[in-house]
Amino acid sequence: MTDYGHPLRFGTFVTPLAADPEETVARARLAEDVGLDLVTFQDHPYQPRFLDTWTLLSYVAAATERIHVAPNVANVPMRPPAVLARAAASLGLLSDGRVDLALGAGAFWDAMEAMGVARRTPGESVDALADAIDVVRATWAEGPPTSRRIPVWLGALGPRMLRLTGTTADGWLPSLGRIGTDGLRAGNAAIDAAAAAAGRDPREITRLLNVSGTFDDATRTGSAPGGRSDLAGSPAAWVERLLPLVLEDGVSTLILATDDEPTMRRFAAEVVPALREQVARERAARGTDTGRVVPRGVRALRRDGIAYDDVPAALAERSVEPGDPEHAAVAATYMRGGSPGLVLRPRTTAEVVEALAFARAQDVTRRVPLSVRSGGHGMSGRSTNDGGIVLDVGELDTIEVVDEDARLVRVGPGARWGDVARVLAPHGWAISSGDSGGVGVGGLATAGGIGFLGRAHGLTIDHVRAVEMVLADGSTVRADAAQNSELFWAVRGAGAQVGIVTSFEMVADEVGAVGFAQLVHDASDTAEFLERWGATVEASPRDTTSFLLMGRPRPGEPVVAQSMTMVDSDDPDVVVARLQPFADLAPLLGQSAQILPYDAVVSPPAPGPHRGSGEPVSRTGLAEHLTPELSGRLAGLVASGETYFFQIRSTGGAASDVPADATAYAHRAANFSVLAMGASRRRLDARWDSLADGFDGLYVSFESDQRPERVADAYPPATLERLRELKRRVDPGNVFRDNMPVLGPEPTPTAES
Amino acid sequence: MPDYGHDLRFGAFITPTAASPRDVVDLAVASEQAGLDLVTFQDHPYQPGFLDTWTLLSWVAARTERVRLAGNVLNLPLRPAGVLARSVASLDRLSGGRVELGLGAGGFWDPIVAMGGTRLTPGESVDALGQAIDVVRGLWDVENRERLVAGGPQHHVDGAKRGPAPAHDVEIWVGALKPRMLRLVGTKADGWLPSLAYLKSLEALGRGNAAIDDAARDAGRDPAAVRRLLNVGGRLTAQGGDGFLQGPPRQWAEQLAAVTLEHGVSTYVVMGDDPTTLAVVGQEVAPAARELVAAERGTTDGGARA
Repeated sequence: MTDYGHPLRFGTFVTPLAADPEETVARARLAEDVGLDLVTFQDHPYQPRFLDTWTLLSYVAAATERIHVAPNVANVPMRPPAVLARAAASLGLLSDGRVDLALGAGAFWDAMEAMGVARRTPGESVDALADAIDVVRATWAEGPPTSRRIPVWLGALGPRMLRLTGTTADGWLPSLGRIGTDGLRAGNAAIDAAAAAAGRDPREITRLLNVSGTFDDATRTGSAPGGRSDLAGSPAAWVERLLPLVLEDGVSTLILATDDEPTMRRFAAEVVPALREQVARERAARGTDTGRVVPRGVRALRRDGIAYDDVPAALAERSVEPGDPEHAAVAATYMRGGSPGLVLRPRTTAEVVEALAFARAQDVTRRVPLSVRSGGHGMSGRSTNDGGIVLDVGELDTIEVVDEDARLVRVGPGARWGDVARVLAPHGWAISSGDSGGVGVGGLATAGGIGFLGRAHGLTIDHVRAVEMVLADGSTVRADAAQNSELFWAVRGAGAQVGIVTSFEMVADEVGAVGFAQLVHDASDTAEFLERWGATVEASPRDTTSFLLMGRPRPGEPVVAQSMTMVDSDDPDVVVARLQPFADLAPLLGQSAQILPYDAVVSPPAPGPHRGSGEPVSRTGLAEHLTPELSGRLAGLVASGETYFFQIRSTGGAASDVPADATAYAHRAANFSVLAMGASRRRLDARWDSLADGFDGLYVSFESDQRPERVADAYPPATLERLRELKRRVDPGNVFRDNMPVLGPEPTPTAES
Repeated sequence: MPDYGHDLRFGAFITPTAASPRDVVDLAVASEQAGLDLVTFQDHPYQPGFLDTWTLLSWVAARTERVRLAGNVLNLPLRPAGVLARSVASLDRLSGGRVELGLGAGGFWDPIVAMGGTRLTPGESVDALGQAIDVVRGLWDVENRERLVAGGPQHHVDGAKRGPAPAHDVEIWVGALKPRMLRLVGTKADGWLPSLAYLKSLEALGRGNAAIDDAARDAGRDPAAVRRLLNVGGRLTAQGGDGFLQGPPRQWAEQLAAVTLEHGVSTYVVMGDDPTTLAVVGQEVAPAARELVAAERGTTDGGARA
């Protein structure tokens, strides 16, 4: 006999009658209109008078806005569990997380057998249900990723089912008319014992209950067995009957089985508020723990320095900590493994402010810098950590046209560039990003953005006209050329240092179909090839941007280099003319060239978690020319085998039209951005350090060397001084120090901290 | 070559991308607004990157008013026929009679088995589809007072109660390419729904039609009882060219009208997820093609025997 302190929820159990489907849907809408939290439907896929429950749930979810939907309970023998899991995840995605999943082992075997289902003994049914729960959860872990955990409730009656509920389920959903108060108590005791034996907190299992009821002056609904309702009399009598079910028997979700509109209205208007009030009063008087339930297994994995129980409510439901099933899916970035102590996933600017305030107040943030994540694709891997807090703005992913004539678009930091390309394509527009559609907007648009249209249209940051951002002190500001212009300067190249951008306004370019060639060259004379490729790039008109890629040479095989070249033209003659000099560089081992939409090149990869592991080992440098000397040194690096991924991107062109002091990305003279990724930090650093004097600066997005000297490579002296001055004003505590920290890697003590 | 005289319909083949459910639904709604007659989604329940197709169809049904909806095509091995029949009937009732049943025998057995399905040989999967059609039709046939016994080893009912009935006479369209499946289409289905990309040529369409027509006649059916649908991809361009559906709207209309008149296709489902293309197909290509077909048939509205 206990109150588990769960928040109260109220639902309805509507008969899924097929005869008048509009009426059935109307009752579900009514449940929402009168303020209930949940609408449920029984599931008997052999019953011809009923609509198919999953179809109806999906339809009702689309026809409502706020209320949750759930089967009560889903017939597992007739619904393949893996497909049911995908269906539930899909409905969760479509409805913004408004689906709960209650499962049952199936009861009416004659009817099921007539539908072609193989009969199971009661024991086999429980085993099958246990297997189904495992399958459902394993399928969810595979994807698609949902923003909210879908709870699994069981309609359990027998001892084995109750044990299963205690060991694995998120909730128990019996009907009061079936089990009575004694059965409820015995069931709770059995569940609690099984939970404790399995190392779970009994609070991990929500107690739900189907009840029937009639008010004195209302028509009988006839839904209770034997025609007798669980609840009768005045609303006050209902409350009196329900109150001990909550306070003594731990029921927190009450589902009223009724198809009667006056009964539903009266329940919502007269019973629910009174019951809420009395329960709140009693709980306060008794000191009942009503905190968020965190499974013991999850609690055991919590990291030091984070007040997990203080996460603001709006964020708590969607936050992820190490014991959560989703943790593996949000822990790693594209390039780097990680194990954050807490991932906060705000959906609005206001929630970003809340998340930042929470993160700042945590002890851990003094030890482990706060990581901010948009797409999690950065080669530098800065958007995760070990034991600290990650503020993931991936949900801020809107892409909308603000002004068609000005080609002005508003893009959230969590959108991916492939999605941006896809949305802009029908307008005949594009914004140059990088070479991958999986990259998030936020990281790239605050660092640089050296992309396939770079020489034609400049860096990604050159398209930003304004940002909305949250500063370290929690203030939300707009920065553009006219207001907060110093922030606007800084956010374009050193954005990670000054705040969290929640929205970008960017101007797109008119880009139709483009020429795109992938050529495989024999680069056996690597130094000469690099030099000639560089000269060819510089001699090309601006409409042409080329990226060069080399791997580790293989013994006994020619050294090969792959170039990817985009020509911003859909005129075949122009494209051929631009590509010919590249084709003539060296003997071709392979070639493909086509004219295709820009968004076909920068397309988003299939969704799914990043799987990076370990620490990325990369070095970068910017150069104006691939001189014979630099080409020779780079050829030596490639030949050494210390880099398994070596890339040179051409930049310059339109990017060089912007004055060096116009943005915090100052390396406007650079025509080439060089990236080498290696297997060994020590060996790659040793190699790279020896050739670094051939570069003038580095590209922040690709650099993973954490030595403090890199900051001065990233930002030339005048830029660095200006950044530090601004930083002392807008982030004196050095909260944002995860990525090229201009004030050093340690927090700065301030009056407020 | 035959023209079966069916009225012309145009639809969309929309990728059910799980990463952007809003975009998927928006494109379905936009297809209706563009005047298209049909919205379809492919069904690969083992693909975590896709939304569950039946859930999505149910959702979209609630967010649209006029457009017809179908899976293109539903994966039978992972959707037991009895529950599927009641699901289709339910959605048809909920949507005011706007659902058709696109069915496929399943092709990717490894992931189907991984999802709990049973591996079938090609022959068994054709048989299974035939059984499923019998089960589905039996469950829908509420006027029939006889005990319902239908199907075979893969899908069967024995004494199941019939109903609920769909709100309209739901057509069963089958995605088929190989001879045995084509025979099944001619014998039992209400429509043939292949993809041009898999057929590879319009000539293959003609061969498929002939096989279906023969099977239909053998079964004592009028070949016109089988609607011919086709998934097509294309690109709208300002300049015309030689390619199929690689030109301006007028050229699309002429090419599609020609396929209707020569090969009897009466429903075109446009792939590619491009809102502009779908809008142009609905607003320009469809009316122009209907007009061309009507002129040739000597009718006024492009419709004849529906």
